Amino acid sequence: MTTQTNVTEREQNGAERTRTGRWFRPPVDIIENANELLLLADVPGAASDAIDIDFEDGVLTVEATVASRWNEEATPLLQEYGVGNFHRSFRVSEQIDASRIHAEYTDGVLTIHLPKAEAAKPRKIQVQAAG
Amino acid sequence: MSLIPWKHKQGEEGGQMLPVASFRTEMDRLFDNFFGNAPGRELAAWSPLGAWAPPLDVEETDKQILVRAEIPGVKADELDLAIQNGSLVISGEKKEKQEHEEKGYLYRERRYGSFRREVSLPSAVDDQNVKAEYKDGVLHVTLEKSQEALPRKIQVTAK
Repeated sequence: MTTQTNVTEREQNGAERTRTGRWFRPPVDIIENANELLLLADVPGAASDAIDIDFEDGVLTVEATVASRWNEEATPLLQEYGVGNFHRSFRVSEQIDASRIHAEYTDGVLTIHLPKAEAAKPRKIQVQAAG
Repeated sequence: MSLIPWKHKQGEEGGQMLPVASFRTEMDRLFDNFFGNAPGRELAAWSPLGAWAPPLDVEETDKQILVRAEIPGVKADELDLAIQNGSLVISGEKKEKQEHEEKGYLYRERRYGSFRREVSLPSAVDDQNVKAEYKDGVLHVTLEKSQEALPRKIQVTAK
């Protein structure tokens, strides 16, 4: 059996670096099974309507804008993390049925289902007995 | 004020961060700041022993202490909050929703497991009056300072 990576991180290019504001790479799990690729991303603080998912030419891009949660009048005593937008992009070499991509967002976790195209699924071929 | 950022489950190495790990985290932060990388946001959340702990922020106003924690992927009723000995303790467990076959993972960066954070509060609080909300993976805790802890104006009388 050959091990083949169907999803590779897309290199940051110049265009991405010119974005304004703070951008973070959300941690992801990507799981493959016979029917789909499943991507889970931690994007805490993003509202569900502030998440953009784009799939074009085999490149999956996830962006989420996050509003600041600091209180202007308060004095910060501890900040262990930065608040900013999320961005991540992957090249998917697996054949995906783009029309059936769907996603859910609960408790700060984005789940994207990328169903494999019929042609890419493992298929059992029936051998017909010749009459 | 004293904050105790690296308390983990009791009994695991006494909850102290190992000096080497602490150094590593600081170095990571330094590099990220220096090179302006978009850092993984959970640097602070990696413990030396591979356990997981959510990153926190704490703010103070005249009357309130605000504590927030990024804990994506838990249910509100799976989070435990307690105020004990002048500290706020946040604990819970982040569970993997679905079991997947080990070989099916192409990327595995998200962290799971039980966690415990303890924040020493900078002043006394009214422990009967604590508000906690969990929204989009972020826990927001609002603590009201107790009357004794509020800043007090002292009248100077002219003689």
